[in-house]
Amino acid sequence: MDRKKISKSDLGQWLDKIAEEYELIGPAEEDEVVQFRPVKSSSELTLDYANSLLPPKSLFFPPVEELFSYQKRGEEIKLEQTKPLEKDRVVVGIRKCDVESLLLLDKVFCEDLVDAAYKERRDRTALIGLACPTPPRAACFCTSFDIDPLSPEGTDILLRDVGEAYLVDVATEKGQELVGLAGKLFSKLTKKEAEELQPPPVDMPKMDLSELGEKLEGMWEDPLWDKLSLPCLGCGICTYVCPTCHCFDIADVGSTSDGVRYRCWDSCMYKDFALMTSGVNPRATKAERARNRYFHKFSTFPSRYGTGYACVGCGRCLVHCPGGVEITEVMQEILAKEGAGE
Amino acid sequence: MVSSSDSLGNGFEPKILVFACNWCSYAGADLAGVSRLQMPPNCRVVRVMCSARVRPEFVITALSKGLDGVLVLGCHPGDCHYSEGNYFTRRRGLLLRKLLEYVGIEPERFQVRWVSASEGAKFAETVERVTEQIRALGPNRPRSEVLPTEPGDK
Amino acid sequence: MQDKLQEVVRKLLAEGAVEYFIGYCQSSQPHRAVPCFVSDESEVEKLVWGPLCGQNLSKYVLRANELEGKVGILLKGCDTRAIVELIKQHQIERDKIVAIGVPCQGQVDGRKLEKALGVSLEQVTNVEDAGDGFLVTVGEETKKVPKEEVLLDKCFRCKHPYAFPYDVTLGEVVPFTIEADVGEYAAVEELEALPIEERRAFWRKQFERCIRCNACREACYACYCKECLFDRKMPRWLAAPPLLSENEMYHLIRAVHLAGRCIDCGECQRVCPVNIPLGSLYRKIQKDVAELFDYEAGMEMDTVPPLVNFELDDQDPFL
Repeated sequence: MDRKKISKSDLGQWLDKIAEEYELIGPAEEDEVVQFRPVKSSSELTLDYANSLLPPKSLFFPPVEELFSYQKRGEEIKLEQTKPLEKDRVVVGIRKCDVESLLLLDKVFCEDLVDAAYKERRDRTALIGLACPTPPRAACFCTSFDIDPLSPEGTDILLRDVGEAYLVDVATEKGQELVGLAGKLFSKLTKKEAEELQPPPVDMPKMDLSELGEKLEGMWEDPLWDKLSLPCLGCGICTYVCPTCHCFDIADVGSTSDGVRYRCWDSCMYKDFALMTSGVNPRATKAERARNRYFHKFSTFPSRYGTGYACVGCGRCLVHCPGGVEITEVMQEILAKEGAGE
Repeated sequence: MVSSSDSLGNGFEPKILVFACNWCSYAGADLAGVSRLQMPPNCRVVRVMCSARVRPEFVITALSKGLDGVLVLGCHPGDCHYSEGNYFTRRRGLLLRKLLEYVGIEPERFQVRWVSASEGAKFAETVERVTEQIRALGPNRPRSEVLPTEPGDK
Repeated sequence: MQDKLQEVVRKLLAEGAVEYFIGYCQSSQPHRAVPCFVSDESEVEKLVWGPLCGQNLSKYVLRANELEGKVGILLKGCDTRAIVELIKQHQIERDKIVAIGVPCQGQVDGRKLEKALGVSLEQVTNVEDAGDGFLVTVGEETKKVPKEEVLLDKCFRCKHPYAFPYDVTLGEVVPFTIEADVGEYAAVEELEALPIEERRAFWRKQFERCIRCNACREACYACYCKECLFDRKMPRWLAAPPLLSENEMYHLIRAVHLAGRCIDCGECQRVCPVNIPLGSLYRKIQKDVAELFDYEAGMEMDTVPPLVNFELDDQDPFL
């Protein structure tokens, strides 16, 4: 893996070069909220930020997207697939937790059944990660999932802030290509620099989650779920800010002759999520829906896709839940239970 | 529901939804017809038993989905067939018109009028006036934004 | 005050007067107080009270309808407006609630505090009321921040309906006043002064941001319908995708459904994940209801909500 250096003052120039060839997307502040947005120039970016409000999964799996449009004239039906992307993209400033979430979403959208739109967006988007500051947000707990905020795994390039400059870890060929757009701005590290320029390790309390899934499996009838149902408002914010949540709804909007099929985000925390046409609702109570959420994250997703837990410790749900439900507390309560099956 | 017009709004024919209460306004509309009074054809009339049947969401849905105007017609206050219905209509209408104006929808696009069963001329005049007011304002939504809801709507 | 609160709750639980008590407790993040449901005396020490308790807990009392017994709840003056309206709207009986009143002297707006201090909110470890300001602890340092810089918007308009018949009060409940340069409906008037096309553009931009997470609806005390209009499938009022037309309908319909019921608690704006200034929309409804019908939600137990009422001499521009 190739390590270079670029000064903070030159970074903008490089990103602007990238913006000439690609659609550049990065964290930008608008109305006091930082979100990942397409920008025309690097001056619009806010790289000095904790994390975005909505996770960058929205760049690959958007809150609403057109799948195709249809037109019926007489007996003839025309379907027109909507193009997911116009230009190739480069996302700069993405955090490792969000990068890991994309690797989890890839399991859902790119394996057994390939979601063409998601895959195209993933294939045509390069990721320039930004290592987290120290200390990170108080709500962060990614290291508990063995995520290393300073490793470039999953990105094409990882930037690490070392004061006046960024260390640039180039992880892939695509990364090399991007660096090549403004190669003169990058310098190799001297031996001294290689030894001395290290961003401080990310200091985060780490939970031992090795028994989490196992203990959870014995808790199907546990009173914890009733307890959680008290503060939970069923508002769905946890789902919408979560980088690994991926439930969606499909809706046709239009008439019998013209219209569009959309896909949009949905949340299993809504009362009607599991409601069937017969009127039966297998998760009619808040407690059942709360239980479903945690089981999905820590038990069913891992076993279905052969991954680790489907949470990356970004802390967004914790910060935004109006009812004050904290996933870290839930995890600790699960871990505190006496062994599985008791 | 799409109004046909070119980009300058020329030849723009507004589509206006009219709720008319059965006992007064609808009868007034009938009288206007029987009297052979000329009216522009832009108003689509829906009969309701009382103007109070019109929930604010009917009006909001109509305007959000692309209709150019909504008109609610009822009995004169004091003359409601159900005694009090139109008093509620009056309150809702006041509130709704102010809210719509606040979010940028011109007040002419939502109007309430009292039309009695004997006021055929008033019905015709109201339809004429409201149609012209809304024609002058232009389409409520750009055509490209309106989702088709009826066959042949695109 | 916090000790008195814990003492009272301990007593309520010991006597079996309530099945559980709804209050605030510290979350794992020191700057945040979150809702807390205490059913056992051992949990009482979690309960806190201070200037970080701005959230309106009133919606949670509706859960008492599913219980045999009562629930206890900590209510600031502004929160009682929700209880009054819930009772008037026949959603709960007064005797299902044990209401504990607490003298509130203003609550902190987290976002404003961040701006005033210039540090991220999560570095704040303590906030205490200190008369005309708040004592805010960041790391080792404690400094006093003037109240007018960091109060929640609604605190500037505190009406504190202290005629509410609490079951217990923790100390004398006095009204809170603060000199404010802003008019009662300043945000609304600012928008009203714009030309209509600019208003349309403004609201269009806001509604386009909406992702229809429905958090504003779930957080609102007044949205208690067992089947919300927006969830109906037959007929379907709103298509699921967050398209502009659907979002517009969602927000405008919710606004009219709240006419005469919105108590200005600010929960909708607080919970919105994309920062839509819902306060500016709902304040407009409150302003119109106050001006047209001389009514403010939750202030009096024996007045009739304006949208189920009428006067023979109501304004009538519709002749």
